[in-house]
Amino acid sequence: MTRVLALAMLAMLALVACGGNAPPPDAGKILSDSANAMANVLTVGATLKLTKGVVSIKGFVLVSARTAVRMPTDSDTVYTVKQQDVSFALEIVMAGGHVYEHIPFTPLREVTGAEARAFPDMARLFDATTGLPAIIPAGTSTKYVASEQLDGKQVDHVSTQYTPEQVHSLLAYLNSSGPVTANLWIRSSDHLIPKAVLDGAFGDGGKDAAVEVDITNFNGTVSITSPAP
Amino acid sequence: MSRRPLFLGLAGAGLFVAALDAYVVVTLLPAMSGDVGITIENFEQATPIVTGFLAGYVVAMPLLGAYSDARGRIPVYVACLAAFALGSVVTATAGLWSFAQLPWLVGGRFLQGLGGGGLVPLSLAIAADLYRDRSRAVALGSVAGLQEAGSVLGPIYGATVTAAAAGLAGWRFVFWLNIPLSLLCAAGLLAAGRRQDAGVPATSAIDWLSALLLGLGLGALVFALYPDDPEHRAVNALFVPGGVVAVVLLGAYAWRQVRRLEPLIPRDLLRSPAFLGATAANVLIGAALIVTLVDVPFVGRLVFNLEALDSGLLLTQFLIGVPIGAVAGGLIASRIGNRITAIAGMAVSAAAFLQMSSWTANELDLHAGPLRQADLGLAVCGLGFGLVIAPLTAGVLALTRGQSHGLATSLVVLARTMGMLVGLSTLTAFGLYRFHQILGTPVLNDTDLRERVKHLERLVAAAFLQEYREIFVIAAALCVAALLVIALSLRPARTSGGT
Repeated sequence: MTRVLALAMLAMLALVACGGNAPPPDAGKILSDSANAMANVLTVGATLKLTKGVVSIKGFVLVSARTAVRMPTDSDTVYTVKQQDVSFALEIVMAGGHVYEHIPFTPLREVTGAEARAFPDMARLFDATTGLPAIIPAGTSTKYVASEQLDGKQVDHVSTQYTPEQVHSLLAYLNSSGPVTANLWIRSSDHLIPKAVLDGAFGDGGKDAAVEVDITNFNGTVSITSPAP
Repeated sequence: MSRRPLFLGLAGAGLFVAALDAYVVVTLLPAMSGDVGITIENFEQATPIVTGFLAGYVVAMPLLGAYSDARGRIPVYVACLAAFALGSVVTATAGLWSFAQLPWLVGGRFLQGLGGGGLVPLSLAIAADLYRDRSRAVALGSVAGLQEAGSVLGPIYGATVTAAAAGLAGWRFVFWLNIPLSLLCAAGLLAAGRRQDAGVPATSAIDWLSALLLGLGLGALVFALYPDDPEHRAVNALFVPGGVVAVVLLGAYAWRQVRRLEPLIPRDLLRSPAFLGATAANVLIGAALIVTLVDVPFVGRLVFNLEALDSGLLLTQFLIGVPIGAVAGGLIASRIGNRITAIAGMAVSAAAFLQMSSWTANELDLHAGPLRQADLGLAVCGLGFGLVIAPLTAGVLALTRGQSHGLATSLVVLARTMGMLVGLSTLTAFGLYRFHQILGTPVLNDTDLRERVKHLERLVAAAFLQEYREIFVIAAALCVAALLVIALSLRPARTSGGT
């Protein structure tokens, strides 16, 4: 009997040593930790690139977007959009409660009312109660994918799914006709999210589309265009 | 049955494919530049996508002919095709990865140009090797004609292939297509010409110092003319130092070449007013020609609001006019002489450019009988350029002995390509500066963003129209300058064979 027990213990030790039965990290907890970390971000920069499908914003085909955010309300976003196959940059500055647009070759101009409200509020995207921090842990079918390296740092790759409503509440111009799969890369050290890929039927006409978002410069210095007084 | 036509045909086909790519980007430029992150307000950054190819073309052209004399035509030709194909791969993959942005694209275009430019003297040399009798002039003319035809057909070819491959890879397909085409030409040449190359001594080397002088000189010239801030100035902030460096380097290159070329080109030829005049005229003609090849499709896109294919097709009438003019030029020159024919050609093109300088935004709606006025103007312009090609080339050939025809024709093409490079760089700098001056800083008060953007489009189109009208006037002036140079330098004699 003692001999059997000893063999069983040896076998268990061997298994543990090989890691064969090591449980995967808790993906839900990783998302929850990252939500808390993202809730404490004061400034951030992000670039969004459309990698599949067509997404239109204000009637223009979106190619990419680059934003600098200073919480709680300020942001400076440059949308690169296409008209036929000519690309141009449309800059939207939200600062001090005002919204300004910069169309190429023209001066910065304030927009107000419904038109101003229709532009995506990038600061809201990082708001602790309504933005990413609130939505991140609410994903379903959450799964730990792998531990990976991203830009030389250890990250946890987690996949999850969000409802069309959740995605729409984040970015109003993303109207999905079905659940959106999100792949998130979460830094193991500080739980911030440097990269996310969203894939779902949020393209124009409910067709498939995918966007890759790279988030950088957490709590760093950001540059937001100051409108002329 | 002689294999010479097949061999020459394959060499010419490779040259034609490469020449197509010189201006293939003209109609694709908005899509290509957008894919490497260039937006309309920074469009000057797209200039090196065109000039990069031309710079490589001009650098390679004078270097590789002599090199192939010792290394053998086919190995060097195949190496040039390989460089062209590699450059095509680099170009086709631009924008696919974050590291493959504008410098990647310009690097690809430069590599394409290096490979393509090397094919010009090689094809001419192959033609001269294969045909040593009276038919040599026809063979040389055919090769030079293929190079010219490739250049002028490039914009329409690019637009057509891109439209046909819209569901595949769009503009990238044009460059992917170069791979099988280059492979076919290389494989055919290797198979057909193995015997021709046997026993060629391998003792020579590329004149790297010349390559460096020419490459750096052209780089400095293109840099000096690059409009880094077109809103405030026409040329680069470092225009003067860049220009001085370019003049010094290109002067050193020319001095070195004159010394090296003396054994190949008789001293008398280099001092001949007719040869110098023909070279100068070709530089001016190249600068004027580039206005049509590049700016007319741009007018189609930016002013007439045409799709890429239609903007390329706008050149059709011009392209029809060139060969008709070339044939007519040969016939007329044989009756009334090279000088009068060439002068008439330049006068016709100058008049056409002046007519084009009065184009309006609705020009395509204006008809003269069943034909659009714009098409007529372009056809006449092409006819003028066609008229001048044969007499000017014949004028140069008449000054040289038979064995120098390849080199002389190569110099004609080189001068014209040089004119295109300098003309494109200068006129782009001028054009973008004028565009910003004309547009100013418009204030848009329309109620909706889309309306404001539409309003801006109208203002931008009007500014571009005015800018291009002025460029057409400059092109007319270039034609008149070429006309005067021809009148003062070209011999009035009728077309004759080599002396």
